[in-house]
Amino acid sequence: MTWIDWIVLCVTLVSIILYGVWKSRGMRTIESFLLADRQLPWYHVGLSVMATQASAITFISAPGQGYTDGMRFIQFYFGLPLAMVVLCITFIPKFKLLNVFTAYEYLEKRFDNKTRSLTAFLFLLQRGLSTGITIYAPAIILSTILNIDINYTTLLMGGLVIIYTVYGGAKAVSYTQMLQMGIIFSGLIFAAWMVVHLLPPEVQFSDALHIAGKMGKMNVIDTKFDLNNKYNLWSGIIGGFFLQLSYFGTDQSQVGRYLTGRSVAQSRLGLIMNGLVKIPMQFLILMIGVLVFTFYQYHQAPVFFNKTEVSKIETSAYKAEWQELERTSGTLFKAREQQVNTLIQALHAGNKGGEDSMRKGLQQTEKQNQEVRKAAVALLLKNNPRADVNDTNYIFLSFVTKYLPVGLVGLLIAIIFLASMGSTASGLNSLASATVIDFYRRLIKPQASASTYLRASRWSTVGWGLFCIVVAFYAHKLGNLIEAVNILGSLFYGTILGIFLVAFYMKKVGGTAVFIAALVAEAFIIFAWLTNLMAFLWLNVIGCLVVMVLAQLIQWGSGAFGSAQAPGEDKKASPVIASEASKYFEN
Amino acid sequence: MSDEKPPVGKSWGRLYTLVIAVLAGLIVLFYFFTRYFS
Repeated sequence: MTWIDWIVLCVTLVSIILYGVWKSRGMRTIESFLLADRQLPWYHVGLSVMATQASAITFISAPGQGYTDGMRFIQFYFGLPLAMVVLCITFIPKFKLLNVFTAYEYLEKRFDNKTRSLTAFLFLLQRGLSTGITIYAPAIILSTILNIDINYTTLLMGGLVIIYTVYGGAKAVSYTQMLQMGIIFSGLIFAAWMVVHLLPPEVQFSDALHIAGKMGKMNVIDTKFDLNNKYNLWSGIIGGFFLQLSYFGTDQSQVGRYLTGRSVAQSRLGLIMNGLVKIPMQFLILMIGVLVFTFYQYHQAPVFFNKTEVSKIETSAYKAEWQELERTSGTLFKAREQQVNTLIQALHAGNKGGEDSMRKGLQQTEKQNQEVRKAAVALLLKNNPRADVNDTNYIFLSFVTKYLPVGLVGLLIAIIFLASMGSTASGLNSLASATVIDFYRRLIKPQASASTYLRASRWSTVGWGLFCIVVAFYAHKLGNLIEAVNILGSLFYGTILGIFLVAFYMKKVGGTAVFIAALVAEAFIIFAWLTNLMAFLWLNVIGCLVVMVLAQLIQWGSGAFGSAQAPGEDKKASPVIASEASKYFEN
Repeated sequence: MSDEKPPVGKSWGRLYTLVIAVLAGLIVLFYFFTRYFS
């Protein structure tokens, strides 16, 4: 990076952090710290919800995903708009009427303490691990740019986010996220334009898409139903719907964002905005990856994008074998470049026969190229069995730092930092909320002062921040980060969603039945994942259905043996929500 | 509280329909996009 990039990066980050800190000054209560006094307008809610979901991983991994796997990942988001509608109709009114701090508070009155505690615990486990991954992602960038050990950059990134979140709370999170999303949108549009601009003059935007399409990257929609196919229309709509409903409806990092809305209407509008904008935004990010793929048909791509691993093998006993792979890759690149040029001529001339012949030729060359990459990975592992052999997360960064103009590099790196700060801050804020509201205030100090809870929230943020840093140290073992986060979510979200859907729609099922069903469902989901029983998106559906069906069966069974417990059987509900809850259940 | 009117549009039902219609439109668009460029 040049000094201009460093100035752009530092000015962008410092000004946004200062703005957030300034806007969140004078915080005195836990309601301010955790929910920004529930006074934010819809566009704050919408942008905050989007910024929380769009972590640095989105901007590092997703273009890499587009590059290696094409556009098909977009189908993962098809369930999101549907989930937003269900949340607006069902979840928001219930949460807002009860005036809860966390989603899990609702479960205490509807079921009992143990169900609330189990759900909050599953959330803390899942969110703690996921937030660790979101800290690790930008640490890769610092590590690559500054050539510093990844462990130090992880500590630096995690430490900065902790300080900022501990001071600012939910208000700072929301105000900074609003600015962050503005910069992110403009930066992404500019980056997409730059990639097209960097293509040879005779290659138009549509030509770039044709080239990518002929090589299998424009696979936006796959209508074939296949349980083992990770991304198709059906897994996206059905599995994605359950995953997004679980994430936005039961994950406190999101619930906490729309609870900051000043009314039901403002919270709903924020989610509707997310439902309308998310898919086009994600499409643009994947498209950038696909365009980078086309760009590398005219510029030779490295055999492997992770420079750290490459430099290790270049100084090893396998140096000669590595250089041979690079030579083969160079020969394939020249052949491919010629084929691409012939394809463009055929496209411009409307020569369908030539187009088809070049498509086959390109696919063949790409297959050979993939073989070279596989051989490269095998060689890296031969040299070092613990090598990080997934370079998807380095593809976009490598392109940005090598080919984009001065200034834009700094801006794009700032975007990745901002995205990370936004989602990590939301994650830490929600972890603190669940810890203090669902455990500390209920089990340890039920009648303490506002300042005690505020202090506990801040300490809890610090504690979770440290936990997430430790997780981040091990995140490099997880491969593609955006998939790792979604797989991790899918292991827990189905069960948690099942508990909430039973709470909302199965009024005769009690706490003990749903508690046992949730334990069984979670054990089954872990088993299904360990044994590769199905693609991960389906785990959300299955987990949710197992909880609902099993809870009903247990309730019937216990009724038949005369030991059925009525819903809300545990009357030792928190006094804080008891009065509000009774109003709701009487309605 | 849930009867509160939306600040834009005449009813919540219409807004929800709009969200689903936009999704359906995008899926159709993406389908033709896939066919055209592949």
